[in-house]
Amino acid sequence: MSRRLDPTLPARLREMGLMDNSKCFNCGHCTAVCQLTEEGFAYPRQDIRMLQMGLGDALTERVEPWLCYYCGDCTKSCPRDANPAEQMMALRRYLTAAYDWTGLAWKFYTSKAWEIGVLLGLALIVVGLFVVPHLLHPGQIQWEPLDGGVAVSSFAAVSWVHLGDMVMLGLLSFLLLSNIFRMGRRILGAARVPIPITLYLSEAWHLVTHFATQRRFGKCNDKEAYWVVHLMLMSGYAIMFLLVIVFLSSLQTDVGLNWTTLPGYFATFALLYASAYFLRGRWQKSAEVNRYSTFSDWLFPALLFATSLTGILMHIFRYYLTWPAGTYVMYVIHMAIVVPMLMVEVPFSKWSHLAYRPFAIYFANIRSKALQAAQKTQPGSLGVPPAVSNALEV
Amino acid sequence: MNPQRIGVYVCWCGSNIAKIVDVEKVARVMARIPGVEVSREYKYMCSDPGQELIMKDIKELGLDRVVVASCSPRMHEPTFRKTLKLAGLNPYMLEMANIREHVSWVHENQELATAKAINLTRAAVHRVMVHAPLVQHEVPVNRATMVLGGGITGMTAALRIAGQGRKVYLVERSDELGGRAIGVGRAGPHMNSVAALLDNLTTRVNDSAYIDVLTGTVVGEVSGFVGNFLVRLANGTRELTVGAIVVATGTQPFDAKKLHRSGYGRFPNVVTSTQFEEMAASGRFTTESGKAPRRVAIIHCVGSRDSETHSYCSRTCCMDALRFSNILRDALPDAAIYQAYSDMRAFGRDAEEFYARTAERDVTFLLFDKLLPPTVSEAPAGDPYPLLVTMDEIATGIAIEVPADLVVLMVAREACSDAKDVAKLVSISVDKDGFFIEKHPKLDPAATTTDGIYIAGSCQGPKDIPDCMSQAGATAARVLAAITMGKVKVPATTATVNEDLCVGCQTCISVCPYGAVIYLDKHRVSRVEEVICKGCGTCAAACPAGTISPRHFTDNQVLQQLEGLLAAEEG
Amino acid sequence: MSYEPKLVAFLCNWCSYTGADLAGTSRTKYSESVRIVRVMCSGRIDPTFVLKAFREGADGVLISGCHPGDCHYHEGNYKALRRYHLLTPYLVQMGIEPERIRLEWVSASEGNRFAQIVDEMTATLRTMGPSKVQATMANYA
Repeated sequence: MSRRLDPTLPARLREMGLMDNSKCFNCGHCTAVCQLTEEGFAYPRQDIRMLQMGLGDALTERVEPWLCYYCGDCTKSCPRDANPAEQMMALRRYLTAAYDWTGLAWKFYTSKAWEIGVLLGLALIVVGLFVVPHLLHPGQIQWEPLDGGVAVSSFAAVSWVHLGDMVMLGLLSFLLLSNIFRMGRRILGAARVPIPITLYLSEAWHLVTHFATQRRFGKCNDKEAYWVVHLMLMSGYAIMFLLVIVFLSSLQTDVGLNWTTLPGYFATFALLYASAYFLRGRWQKSAEVNRYSTFSDWLFPALLFATSLTGILMHIFRYYLTWPAGTYVMYVIHMAIVVPMLMVEVPFSKWSHLAYRPFAIYFANIRSKALQAAQKTQPGSLGVPPAVSNALEV
Repeated sequence: MNPQRIGVYVCWCGSNIAKIVDVEKVARVMARIPGVEVSREYKYMCSDPGQELIMKDIKELGLDRVVVASCSPRMHEPTFRKTLKLAGLNPYMLEMANIREHVSWVHENQELATAKAINLTRAAVHRVMVHAPLVQHEVPVNRATMVLGGGITGMTAALRIAGQGRKVYLVERSDELGGRAIGVGRAGPHMNSVAALLDNLTTRVNDSAYIDVLTGTVVGEVSGFVGNFLVRLANGTRELTVGAIVVATGTQPFDAKKLHRSGYGRFPNVVTSTQFEEMAASGRFTTESGKAPRRVAIIHCVGSRDSETHSYCSRTCCMDALRFSNILRDALPDAAIYQAYSDMRAFGRDAEEFYARTAERDVTFLLFDKLLPPTVSEAPAGDPYPLLVTMDEIATGIAIEVPADLVVLMVAREACSDAKDVAKLVSISVDKDGFFIEKHPKLDPAATTTDGIYIAGSCQGPKDIPDCMSQAGATAARVLAAITMGKVKVPATTATVNEDLCVGCQTCISVCPYGAVIYLDKHRVSRVEEVICKGCGTCAAACPAGTISPRHFTDNQVLQQLEGLLAAEEG
Repeated sequence: MSYEPKLVAFLCNWCSYTGADLAGTSRTKYSESVRIVRVMCSGRIDPTFVLKAFREGADGVLISGCHPGDCHYHEGNYKALRRYHLLTPYLVQMGIEPERIRLEWVSASEGNRFAQIVDEMTATLRTMGPSKVQATMANYA
């Protein structure tokens, strides 16, 4: 099956922040220096070549862009200054948009107005959800401090907030999983062999370990610190997720500090530190990964930082200052940041790579195993690039 | 026959020969052969004292023939011929026995080596007994030159020769000077105007008092030899007498119809590089439907580097293709431009930079294996573009299809279809592709193996304009050096016919690679034009009557040599 | 003394003779059996020369010229090839084994190849023993 070239692809990627992609003459130096590239999963040369040629459709079958963690070695040693690492970054944006059936990811990556507009719109809705009911039914809010805290539930009933959490969780899960389903269909479809159902289960451990540890990161040169901070971010994220989704009634208690306090402090610190670390890196541009940050690269850690900061402020107002009005206002601000952030970033933008990376490894291994199995039954009938039968090193 | 007085000189070559060969014994054995007046050995025969020894013997002992047993004749035959000449002997009365390269340096057994050296030296003695004195003639040279082909190369060569005040007849088959460069707008990598160059050349050629421009003229027949060619023009009106002929007949474009996969002749939107050149000159780029093209695919190596057609590289098309991409990008800023190539040959000054600059202008390069060139086919109904170029892109390993509304084929440059006729006309040879062969690719690239016939430009192999002009200059210098002397030496070792014995079968004429043998109708015998003959001797091997024979390699000389070579061993 | 074959080699001036010279300058050792006759072109080699060599007692004859396409005189080597193919059956009729005559292309850069061919042919001639031409001629004389 021959693939049709689409000359508009490089231009479309340039809209997503891709810089000049004409300098590369495909020598393969980038692939030679990459610490992560391996037999059967060679990059970035192949991906850049496909990008140049306009093989956008074939690119969506590739997992390789997700296997790159942007150490920048390729860019540092590129003889043509073609910046391969940044091209891989642009390809990840392209793939995120390509998996997304709503078309919103494409809008967010190509238009600041769209991204900020949606964030602001969602923020307004959140504010409205808190303010409007109280305007319609005044007198519910307790403006006096409690003993050792603030009656937050009088302003935001736990049951309603929990319901909101669940609705958002459902929505986000649906959007993200539907995009991941589309991703899997492209990647596994490239094998052109039937995929045994059992593989989905036997390979699932890749998903868990890579989601939790992102351990391929450690293979990159000089990325240990980066990896530790990423791990920190992930653990903070996971803890906060559990606290908010499962233990909201304990977290949002009105009676003072409890068992959720310490894990909450850790998670907050982790999120604050990690987002500050990433923001500082983007500001200083000292590491290769940070030299060409785009608006979307800035936005996610900035929102995360603001989320953590407003959460802390609310916590201080509530327990240490016992100032109800400040607490309620900060609560609304906190929610008006965190909800739009999650809605935009999780399925459509920067956050989604946390899901796409482990899924890419998962799908790659399923595909390799399926090809191996098919080769045993029908030797010699395979070899359709870019699908390969090598298992990915883990 | 007169009693012969032969001198034999066996060289030690220091220890090079003497270490393995018993040179004293060789000299001793030779002394016993009847006719050998003196037989000596000496440390270095080629040294001044060694040569003086020979000269002294020639004069004092009245020697009439000399044998030197030493190194290869390819090394010192000219040295010892000069020695003989200085001593008043004809230089061809010398024979050498190669007992260094063919004996002492390749053998280890002293006894066998000495026996072999004796055999070789005795063979030389036997051979020299039947040597005859030979004379090298000189013939006068006509100082006019004919240049065949009025393209950039031919005009440049003509101008260079005329610049030295020598007469040039510039013969061009078409009615216009300029050749294949007519219609070419600009040339890469600097995008200089070719039209301006042609204008400059034609004006200077037409203005030159020394150049006789003969357009619309075809040469009918060339006879004669170096310095004295007689050229009969095909229209029969005129005959030219010239001393040298420069062949600069150029190339022709490959006919892409011969390659079905190119789509040429089947799809109107497939054009050749020649046609694209016309489009570029007009400044209007259109597809068959009259619209500006939006997807242009340029395919390299159509008819070049291809086992089915021409295996050689046409050398100019890569740069032309890059130039076309730039022209297209200037004219059509939004069109997609593809180049399907198998090797980008951007050699020479500024060419690689030109390639890099072109790549930065949004030109997509697609790599194919030259064994699997792209195929142009009609796009299926409903496609937005009428053509599909399909190929295996080997830098990605992906089979691709490129939608296109204009396909440009970079067609090969091949030898002119009548190159073989031209070669026959002036007795030069063509290679397997029909290009004229130079005398030596490095030592003498502007001359041919036929004296007085020179070549320049693409008729010797595809070249770009700077290379054509450089070779034209080199060829002109080569011609001027030959005609300025006013006379030319003819080698003495040519063939000769014993006309008394010749039966006129003309076998010699059919085998001579140079056309050096002519048939005299009146006498019904063959005769050798000695100025043309190179002395290879193939006529002698073929002659059934044994009447034609190359001087210095006659049947008798070789047979005598064999007798000496195989004579029974003696002490 | 053991039997030493006599091999006559007709070499063209431009390729094979120069190749034999190269074997010398490279000090490549080979059998003393070979005796070289220089001609300008392998196309000059008259069948008479070969017959004469056998008549005078040669045990084998080697004809060598430029590789196809490399002839200094364009195509003399092709003519040598044709004559070789015409001559061989004639020699066989005369009782000379075909192994005693060989045609090989040796370029000016193939000194080692020349030495190798000489050694191969000498080994063949040694196993075959002396040519019977002279003895036969003596019988008929």
